[in-house]
Amino acid sequence: MKLRRWFLLPAWLWMALLFLAPFAIVLAYSLLTRGTYGGVGGPWTLENYQRLLDPLYLTILLRSFAMAAAATAICLALAFPAALFIARSNRHRNLYLQLVMLPFWTSFLVRTYAWMFLLRDTGLINTALQWTGIIHGPLPLLYNNGAVLLGLVYGYLPFMVLPIYATLERMDPALAEAAADLGARPMVTVLRIIAPLAMPGILAGSVLVFIPCLGAYLTPDLLGGGRSAMVGNLVQNQFTTARDWPFGSAVSIALMALVTALLWALLRKQKEPIA
Amino acid sequence: MNRRIFLMGLSALAGCSRDTRPRLNVYNWSSYIAPETVPRFEAEFGVQVRYATYESNEEMLAKALTGNSGWDVVFPTHNRLAPMRENGLLARLNHQWLTGLDNLDPRFRAPAWDPELAWGVPYMWNATGIVYHRSVQPPPGRWADLWNPALKGRLTMLDDPEDVLGACLKKLGRSFSATDANELRAAEREAIAQKPLVRAYLNAEVRDQLVSGDVLAAQLWSTTAQQAIDAEPRLAFAYPAEGFPLYCDCAVILRESRRARLAHEFLNYLLRPDVSARIVQATKTATANRAAWSLLPEAVRTNPVLYPPADVYARGEWPQTLPPGTQRLRDRIWTEIKSA
Repeated sequence: MKLRRWFLLPAWLWMALLFLAPFAIVLAYSLLTRGTYGGVGGPWTLENYQRLLDPLYLTILLRSFAMAAAATAICLALAFPAALFIARSNRHRNLYLQLVMLPFWTSFLVRTYAWMFLLRDTGLINTALQWTGIIHGPLPLLYNNGAVLLGLVYGYLPFMVLPIYATLERMDPALAEAAADLGARPMVTVLRIIAPLAMPGILAGSVLVFIPCLGAYLTPDLLGGGRSAMVGNLVQNQFTTARDWPFGSAVSIALMALVTALLWALLRKQKEPIA
Repeated sequence: MNRRIFLMGLSALAGCSRDTRPRLNVYNWSSYIAPETVPRFEAEFGVQVRYATYESNEEMLAKALTGNSGWDVVFPTHNRLAPMRENGLLARLNHQWLTGLDNLDPRFRAPAWDPELAWGVPYMWNATGIVYHRSVQPPPGRWADLWNPALKGRLTMLDDPEDVLGACLKKLGRSFSATDANELRAAEREAIAQKPLVRAYLNAEVRDQLVSGDVLAAQLWSTTAQQAIDAEPRLAFAYPAEGFPLYCDCAVILRESRRARLAHEFLNYLLRPDVSARIVQATKTATANRAAWSLLPEAVRTNPVLYPPADVYARGEWPQTLPPGTQRLRDRIWTEIKSA
């Protein structure tokens, strides 16, 4: 065997042990029957997948898609100008990039708790607004869909900024200059020249934001106060309180299948490999 | 360096790093022992204890159900004893090895869930009730008071289907352990009607928000409520008039344990009055140990939140183990409430 094939061995082992084996277990669980008090047992069945068609669970799935899509759109709206700004700046480019990545130095859980302290009725934002006299009673900032969306956008924004930056940074500045010389106003240049050329980065960023948002469970739980369930919370609940491991597995598998189908459709459309 | 010296050094190193003392593995709820409880046991018996904590019965059960979890002693709530026993997870207690069962409060010597104390030793108990800010007028005294529109946005319920449905069932005059589908559906309608008022479904994390005044009324466990009251004296606790659930966590030995004798010694150790009293002082829980209770200061013994007087205690109900069919309906109802 050629030496270079051996180089792939650790990656294959990694995939087999930490992805394929757990995946096979989850798949098997999803086809089994719920044990009386947790765990799984016989006989083999497709019932868990039939239950997925129940409107109750479809609603939760749809809500998760809507939340993830909204978070992705907001991330894109915030990240594109930021990435363009960083790509165009000369002196402080590295500093700006460091700032984008700075939040990763702290645990996601700690940062989510920090948001809880900011958004509380007696938190920093409400206290400051009341002190300045802008509002008279505290605004309900925490424990609603807005708070969940905020948490998702905050958590995944860097995953949108970095791929877009990577494509913009490689772009030849002469292209934008040519557009300007030919009479395009700056806004037109951005929308018709720069954005299409940055499409691979935009798609990569959207995938990197959308997928983790779809399965998010910590943010809806902590910032949403358990008032509106997303599909990640449904899975978690099946494995804990409901003790229905087969159904939880079936939800996970269905979610993976949906995400894979989406990615596949996207990659087929996009001839060029994503960033 | 010659090889023999090297190998000798290596084996010496291995000898140093390995602790040859027998090891007991204890898996308990978080904040459920005093800081010195485990070190003193280790010193007295010349053993080491691997101690870790969990936040819910389900977290512990998920591990124990594998039958190969590596834990010897765990602390399930009383109504989890039957399912654990039926799944063959529990070792029967050997009463010849147990000393100190006489220390238990008479209420816990022959409890309904385990009349002979064959499977678990009652450890600590608590109840679910209402903790509220004294500025709330009139003060809540019934579960029905948690449907008061004045509390909108300042009220939390537990993030626990058993407790939330339980409060609704009690409001309707039913049992916590209701299995009838119509009763459960009626309870679901109550929970959904209440949801617009509910700020969030929170467990122990509501404590800080009660202290800071963000939350004015909360469904909460008595022990957590007492911690909040200690930090903010303007909070008070009510045992609802319609009735309330009582929970008792029991020390059990898993059948997979290979150190049954040592595990029994640990249970005996926890049954000692001075050990149990120290745990109560450190963690503000209610002990099932009568002898330990007598060692507590007067103010703790008569604390009406931790140790409700007899007439209040009489309204309590011990939730039973639910049959699987009911459990499934309850899971569904809970998902419906959450996505309503």
